[in-house]
Amino acid sequence: MTYAIEKRDVTEWLQKLLETAEVIAPVRGPCGDVLFSTVRSPEQVVWDFQNTLPPPKQFVLPQTDPIIKIKRNGELHEIEAIYDDTRRLLFNIRSCDAKGIAFLTRMYEMEPADASYLRRAYNLTIITLACNIPCSLGFCVCAGSGPFLSDSYDVQLTDLGESYLVEVGSEKGESALSGVPNLFREATKDQVSQRERLEAEAKNQFGEETCHFASAMRRISTGRVQDALWEEMSEWCLECGGCNLVCPTCYCFSVKDLGSDGSWTRCRMWDSCQYAAFTLEASGHNPRAERRQRMKRRFFHKASAQYYQRDCAVGCVGCGRCVQVCLGATNLPAVVGAIRKGKWNA
Amino acid sequence: MSAFATTCPSCSCGCGFYLLTSNGQLTGVAPSENHPVSSGKLCARGWNAHEAALCGQRLSRPLLRTNGKVESVSWDEAFDQISRRLKELTEAGRSVGVLGSARATNEENYLAGKLARAGLHTNNVDFSYHSLCRPLLAGLEEVCGERIPTTSLNDIASSQLIFLFEGNLAETHPRAASLVMKAVEKRAFLVTIGYRMTQMARLSSLHLVTTPGNEHEVIRGLLAAVLELRRLDRRLLGVHGEEYEALWRDVERVDRTNALRQAAEWITRAERATFLLACNGGEGEQARKDAAAFATLAAVTGHLNRRGSGLLVLVARSNVRGACDMGVTPERLPGYERLDDEQARQRLQDLWDRKLPRDPGYSTEDLLQSASGLIVLADDPPSVVPMGQQAMAAMEKLDYLVVLDSFVTPTVQKAHAVLPIASFAETEGTLTNMEGRVQRLRAAANPPGIARAGWQVIGELCARFGVGNSYTSANDVFSEIARAAPRYAGIEQRLSADGWSTALLANVDDAKSLVYTSGAAAVTESPCARGPYVLVRDGSFDWGHDPLVAFSPTLSRDYQSERKLFPNGFVEMCQRDADTLNLSAGRVVRLRSVHGHAVVPIKVRRDLKPGVLSVPYAFRDELASVLGRDSVTAVSVEAP
Repeated sequence: MTYAIEKRDVTEWLQKLLETAEVIAPVRGPCGDVLFSTVRSPEQVVWDFQNTLPPPKQFVLPQTDPIIKIKRNGELHEIEAIYDDTRRLLFNIRSCDAKGIAFLTRMYEMEPADASYLRRAYNLTIITLACNIPCSLGFCVCAGSGPFLSDSYDVQLTDLGESYLVEVGSEKGESALSGVPNLFREATKDQVSQRERLEAEAKNQFGEETCHFASAMRRISTGRVQDALWEEMSEWCLECGGCNLVCPTCYCFSVKDLGSDGSWTRCRMWDSCQYAAFTLEASGHNPRAERRQRMKRRFFHKASAQYYQRDCAVGCVGCGRCVQVCLGATNLPAVVGAIRKGKWNA
Repeated sequence: MSAFATTCPSCSCGCGFYLLTSNGQLTGVAPSENHPVSSGKLCARGWNAHEAALCGQRLSRPLLRTNGKVESVSWDEAFDQISRRLKELTEAGRSVGVLGSARATNEENYLAGKLARAGLHTNNVDFSYHSLCRPLLAGLEEVCGERIPTTSLNDIASSQLIFLFEGNLAETHPRAASLVMKAVEKRAFLVTIGYRMTQMARLSSLHLVTTPGNEHEVIRGLLAAVLELRRLDRRLLGVHGEEYEALWRDVERVDRTNALRQAAEWITRAERATFLLACNGGEGEQARKDAAAFATLAAVTGHLNRRGSGLLVLVARSNVRGACDMGVTPERLPGYERLDDEQARQRLQDLWDRKLPRDPGYSTEDLLQSASGLIVLADDPPSVVPMGQQAMAAMEKLDYLVVLDSFVTPTVQKAHAVLPIASFAETEGTLTNMEGRVQRLRAAANPPGIARAGWQVIGELCARFGVGNSYTSANDVFSEIARAAPRYAGIEQRLSADGWSTALLANVDDAKSLVYTSGAAAVTESPCARGPYVLVRDGSFDWGHDPLVAFSPTLSRDYQSERKLFPNGFVEMCQRDADTLNLSAGRVVRLRSVHGHAVVPIKVRRDLKPGVLSVPYAFRDELASVLGRDSVTAVSVEAP
């Protein structure tokens, strides 16, 4: 079902949403950065932004995520799972990030399913704001994850000038509208065709970043990337791990116990496959001790046919964050480009 | 979830990020696009900065050790005992001192200096990292005068030529390495100087490979090549007339290879060149001469005076510059002013209302050997100074050791009194990076237990020695700093309460009104070690023993694994040497020098040249019997 809401009515809608769930939306901080944060009033929500540098994945997969409580009881240890059942609503997230969360959920739903992640994900309502103007470093159009969505959202908003087009993609989406039904009118034909036009225009406005996954995939999957190329590219990586940590589709973590003396919290903590010790084994052996091996592994996971068949998507939503945070020069589009051309041209 | 804009506590680049918390507990780090240094980028230490404070072994209550037993006490009990014991020692004429820290804030360091000079009436005040960077700073001062030369980190990216004299920049200062890469991407020439074929060296246009100990000869060779190239046209040089002749006479006989001539041509042609000095830990005299020669090269080629050019010293820890500026060294008062500067002394006497001592104080290593009572602020000297075990033994002999720290370090375990202070994530205060950029720390969480902010704790100690001021915030302390250190006057007003609050100490052009003085030409030949092999103590900072890394589960993995695999250390050598000696990785060798011998396993590395053996700083004590006090020594190697 497709509706429209007048811009002046959005405050009232947000007010209603704030009563029913923790609303997380883009907020402008004191240092000028826009970050996703819990909002207390509709006025805090930012509408005019490209995207946040830290992805909203932290609201389904926090950087530090308590999963089990462990308590010593005499000779025994008592363990208890920690679940976060808070009802949350992610408001104004971008298309790529909604696709990212869908990717993570698909992964964590695979057997053995991860209840800790899933409880959080199933309690989350996703309201996206389609990108009428693509962000400067984004290339979501190459990854099939934007600038507009046809799935992976509960509600998709499109800015039509005076009003927002409201596309409902799920029951959770319906219920997000149900508190104030009188604010939503059925969308007119004009409004729907305006959205189509905006999407077409947006697709023509992408910047320089492109990513031809298909030809890179063929090379990666058939072992046609020379070791020397991995070696050469890896010289341009400073092992910050930033590409993993800001990637909406990266889900790897390590497990650490916090606490002491008989009471601990086992936490899941984000990890990066680009860190030397990521695959370090207890014996001291490290199957991927060299940076080139780790980089090769990362891109095999991101863009090989094997993973594409499993995930039905490349491990990239084209948000461009890795371009921005990369301390070296080995962001995803740069490496995919080099793989495709068989040549690194830094 | 809340986000607190703060400054990275790791290296001297001074990146900014948000510390994220949920229900008052630290949960992570987020980068900021708007930070003037980091612009949305962070290194692994930045990305995982919250972990040490969150997962580390933290101190939460004051502790007193009596008869070998450690007891948790109240703050008052701890302060009472500390002031009583220290007064007993000073009244008995015994020597006491204070160690500040390159990982403590300006406010904490300033108060540590005040406690020493005004409260305890001694110039015995230093910080352990100073023993590594003092020679280097002294060398620069010979050439550049009192101001630590500087350029903006962001200028690196737009340089046409970068001269990098490094240990291993990619590991010690990833943000600076990132800017170097940016410049190289834009086709800048990168010239690296060092004995190791590091990541930066592999990206360079020219790597001037040295033998450990002869770096000085390479830099002198460059000087000679530059002067020779400009013999006919000296307009572009920063040195003229008699100065030029003196310098030329000094270096004209030094070998000039084609590589040196090539590098010289690039330096003289470049409009914007950055000189990065990112090595440390070398033997004192050698390090001083290397730094002076490097600065001379920058001065002579005119790059100390030019917009967009400059020299930047990159030391390991975040607040080395701040610790120096706060006067936490025996010979400098707040504002980096000389101890014998009467005007500065008078200003401080008026401000602190105390007569200040004139006798020069001891530096870290001597202080550890000679003091009876010592207050250590957020520092662990055995993991920092070159002779770590010796420092540890000296600390065990102290009559009274007080340690203020957030983490359980080996030094804390030796202390008679332990005062728990907030970590960087839980305190307000400022840090000064090597550009001279003063930046705020902001408290994102509460410190554990009854731990207090460092400035509060030292403030109370100052009060116990009659030099307290009723500070109610870190800002109060900063206001006093502005009066004690003229260079910090006005900074407070420029540091806004909100946002990325950063203020540069002196504007860059100002700092560049430095001229080359011929005094620096007094460089002498240094004999480098002779022998079949050279063993070098790798001076790259040992982050594995820094609490910010050691207590982070993610960051400490490599270091812990290395310790586990090689509990007694190792030496690194190249494949060719291993083949010559018929050794495979992990096998042991016997190293013999004039100091003694040791049997250690080897690790084969691709980045060393034949004849050079290197021991990581973390394992220097395991090879102390071979190295002695030297950073480079000739050794013979045999399979036992």
